Amino acid sequence: MGITDYFSDVISSWLPEALAEAPAQDAEESSAPESEPEVKADESEESTEKSEDSAEDSAEDTPEESSKEAGEEAEEEEEEEEEEEEEPEDVKPKIEEECTNSAQCAPYKHHYDECVERVTKQQEDEDYKGPKEDCVEEFFHLAHCATQCAAPKLWKALK
Amino acid sequence: MLARTVLRSVPFRGAARQSLNKTSSRASSSAAGPESASSPFHLTVTASVATAIALGSATYLYGQEAFAMTPAEEGLHATQYPWEHAKWNKTFDHQALRRGFQVYREVCASCHSLTRVPWRSFVGVTHTVDEMKAFAEENEYDTEPNDQGEIEKRPGKLSDYIPAPYPNEEAARFANGGALPPDLSLIVKGRHGGCNYIFSLLTGYPDEPPAGATVQEGMNFNPYFPGTAIAMARVLFDGVVEYEDGTPATTSQMAKDVVEFLNWAAEPEMDDRKKMGFKAITLLTGLFALSVWVKRYKWSPIKTRKIVYSPPVPRR
Repeated sequence: MGITDYFSDVISSWLPEALAEAPAQDAEESSAPESEPEVKADESEESTEKSEDSAEDSAEDTPEESSKEAGEEAEEEEEEEEEEEEEPEDVKPKIEEECTNSAQCAPYKHHYDECVERVTKQQEDEDYKGPKEDCVEEFFHLAHCATQCAAPKLWKALK
Repeated sequence: MLARTVLRSVPFRGAARQSLNKTSSRASSSAAGPESASSPFHLTVTASVATAIALGSATYLYGQEAFAMTPAEEGLHATQYPWEHAKWNKTFDHQALRRGFQVYREVCASCHSLTRVPWRSFVGVTHTVDEMKAFAEENEYDTEPNDQGEIEKRPGKLSDYIPAPYPNEEAARFANGGALPPDLSLIVKGRHGGCNYIFSLLTGYPDEPPAGATVQEGMNFNPYFPGTAIAMARVLFDGVVEYEDGTPATTSQMAKDVVEFLNWAAEPEMDDRKKMGFKAITLLTGLFALSVWVKRYKWSPIKTRKIVYSPPVPRR
């Protein structure tokens, strides 16, 4: 099929090429010239062990404890890494909080805050015998608005 | 035509009116109507009792608490994220796939299997042959029975499939408090919302559930999971994984990478499919233009001919 080969050659010349064999190992070294390969291997092993530990913890313990432990672990890791890199911090909560407080989501936030106030008052009041209420629906509306507002900004921030 | 339809519709309307009249007259005959003052006592009692029973049963059925489908049971619909690989002329970001595989291997693989993906499928996509051979050899697989019929263990090969963390469903349920971690090979295709749903689920755990929401013990609140109570706790925290290419491993970055990786696991043919589609559209456009030209060429003598009838001149 001469003509289809021609087309595929033209198209593949535009697209990046996938290599099955290992190319010359310049890419990693050039990106991180300071770190040595041995140290890297050790770190990756440590991180796998830690991740396994944290997964086991989360399976056994209650979520609060596991999240605390994982948070502590993350802090420890960050302390270790502080010498080499700055600690990674997620931008998603920040962007979504900005969106939550923006004028776009103001009505939803108003409803949600009002609901939270009402429901907490009901829960504290022991004599209250009305229908049981929760703020899931209001939370949904607010979260939907915030994530929708944050989606394009988040994708610009991520790699 | 119009007149005929109008004419035809008239008797229908007449019939309808007649039937209406009939029903109304029948209703008035059975109901109390203006003669209620003079109706016998037992009829009034029967009607009252029937009304009371009807009202009571309606209150019993509908008046207490409505168990209708609530938004919490549906789950929060995932937000549409502008995925780069979802565009029709874009491929997967293969560096993201490589990072995503690292996240799967270090975080997800302790509970979730990926049984439909063999080690060989990574070669040339995210990793080199030697890297994947090393990964495969870390696992043990059963051999064929030897001369004495015993099954031994051997290190993995490229042609083996990724081993599952649990031998069977019961073991998986037992280890996870009754909840079964689903296989992730086709999870992007298997969930409504696809990539958006999984990304939202992974990153959407709120710090605390909204006021009034009840969360059972051992469950976690996640607005995107139908029913909002999910057995999987939040697993992606900032810095859980250390990326080899130096990308900051934030929660949302890891979620994005692992979702793109899972999309590749579900649709490994996507890059080729888009390329083939591009080729096919290009070729078929040319062939269509050619066929139009051929048709016009072949039909041109027929389309442009002129048939003239010249009647014979009668002789006189």
